[in-house]
Amino acid sequence: MIPTAAQRAKWQMPRIDRSDRVLGGVAAAIAVEIGVQPLIMRTLFLVLAIAGGWGLVLYALAWAFIAIASPTRISPYTPVPKGATPTHRHLAVLVIATGLLIIFARLSSDVFAGIVWPVGFVSTGALIAWSRGQAEPEGLSVVARVVAGLTVAVGGLIAFAALQFNLVDTLIALVFGLALVAGVAIVAAPSVIRLARDLDSERQDRVRTDERARISAHLHDSVLQTLSLIQRHVDDPVRTAQLARQQERELRNWLYGPGPSRADTVRLQEGLEAMATRVEQSHGIKIDVVAVGDSAAFPRATLTPLLEAAGEAMTNAAKHAGVDRIDVYAEHRASQVEVFVRDTGAGFDPDAVVGDRRGLSESIIGRMHRAGGSATVFSSPESGTEIELVLPIEMNGVSS
Amino acid sequence: MTRVALIDDHALVRAGVRAELEAAFRIVGEAGDVPDAIDLIVREKPDVVVCDVHLPSGTAADVIAGAVARGVTTVFLALSVSDAAEDVIAVIRAGARGYITKATDGAGLIDAVQRVAGGDAVFSPRLAGFVLDAFSTDLATPEADPELDQLTAREQEVMRLLARGYAYKEIARRLTISIKTVESHASAVLRKLQLSNRNELTRWAADRRIL
Repeated sequence: MIPTAAQRAKWQMPRIDRSDRVLGGVAAAIAVEIGVQPLIMRTLFLVLAIAGGWGLVLYALAWAFIAIASPTRISPYTPVPKGATPTHRHLAVLVIATGLLIIFARLSSDVFAGIVWPVGFVSTGALIAWSRGQAEPEGLSVVARVVAGLTVAVGGLIAFAALQFNLVDTLIALVFGLALVAGVAIVAAPSVIRLARDLDSERQDRVRTDERARISAHLHDSVLQTLSLIQRHVDDPVRTAQLARQQERELRNWLYGPGPSRADTVRLQEGLEAMATRVEQSHGIKIDVVAVGDSAAFPRATLTPLLEAAGEAMTNAAKHAGVDRIDVYAEHRASQVEVFVRDTGAGFDPDAVVGDRRGLSESIIGRMHRAGGSATVFSSPESGTEIELVLPIEMNGVSS
Repeated sequence: MTRVALIDDHALVRAGVRAELEAAFRIVGEAGDVPDAIDLIVREKPDVVVCDVHLPSGTAADVIAGAVARGVTTVFLALSVSDAAEDVIAVIRAGARGYITKATDGAGLIDAVQRVAGGDAVFSPRLAGFVLDAFSTDLATPEADPELDQLTAREQEVMRLLARGYAYKEIARRLTISIKTVESHASAVLRKLQLSNRNELTRWAADRRIL
């Protein structure tokens, strides 16, 4: 029966399933691709291995091909059973297995016999030693794998040689072999060590170069850009000062700052600096932010009302005080955060503020009250203005 | 007239600071390097040395140590762009009487030099913030070193107002004490900062760095 186009299955490179394997998972992978029980393929490889060692060679070759091909394949693997019916499948496997056995039996009778077993042992040992890429986390350690692989390879060779020749000759040959390997190792060791050391120092150089490249990239994107902008705006002192100030703040933060918090958390100083930068940019004023006890990263939502109220206070000072600098001081104490926004400018009488100054009553005082905190204004025409913001903060769930 | 020396590796900065200070003080010399600075200080014995924190071959702390080793006692005012806690603390611990940033305006600079020349301590808001952090009881471990002096409540209050940007005069008015008293509190804090157990402060600075 000839399969129709719809029934014809496409052959794919088998995939090794790390969870279903005895040795390298090759038999199971091939079984899955064909569509038979893994046990059938395992038995087949075992029989072929016993019949002159060919199974070991085949297994190692198949493993090498599959292992090399598999990891790079990202496409989903959906094996389709081959053959029209399960009977066809199993029959085909049986025919192929029989054919292989006959061929191997013929080959084993002549000169190949002396080669297949050793090659099989060595390749199986190598498979065990190299199977790092296939190992699951709780798998054998590298050393254990190499030792196990060497044991299989060397042990198999000795056993084979002892059967072919006599044991004493074999052992003598083994000693010579080991002496040869040791001699090569001693001669080659200095070169190998030097090579390893070169690789190491090369890696360190690369790390240094990368770091340097990272710093240059940052300086280029920030400082050099700003400097060229400043050169273009030399006749506009306000703009020049703003650019310089903005760049200074950014660079300072990069050099001395604690580094950016996660997206959903914010540090007190970081949040206030961001707010200050915004006000500085739109009003051309200098704002110094000092934060004490700034070790915790707060959930962004918790701190937002406080930061926005502080930003509004800075904007008010920038607009109405008529000074060129504002001091912002923040302190995180046990269960609350305090922020002071202070200027030494015009000042006003808080009680005389008329209703249209919504900035103060709504954006600062109202906002703080809604968040469960408070805002107090200290101001007089001769001593400037200070706005005190207090936000109680539950320390639960706050991590540093 | 108070004699002032300028130490900064940037000629442009020295020129700017000199322009600000020349009206009020006599500038006796400039240097851009640690050995030059020490030679200048030994030769001229200025009343006040305005010194950048970072120099090509060392820091302001090296200049202070070098000058002291050659028997010169002069007053140092650190002037820097650095915000790093350990830079600020290191130069204060080496013996500087004050620390201000280069963002300080001309009047602030003149005031600071006059203040240190008169034997007082000068705190920028940022330095006051660092001091509060360093002496914060929250940070002290249970087995905190008894050698780490704590700030008195009044000293903390003064530091807090300094950090909030208040001038000595304003602090005095607010706490209804004399300016002299504010100055003595500031000097006491500076002394504690210089004499306190080294490890405690170093650990604090290191902690802050790797936050």
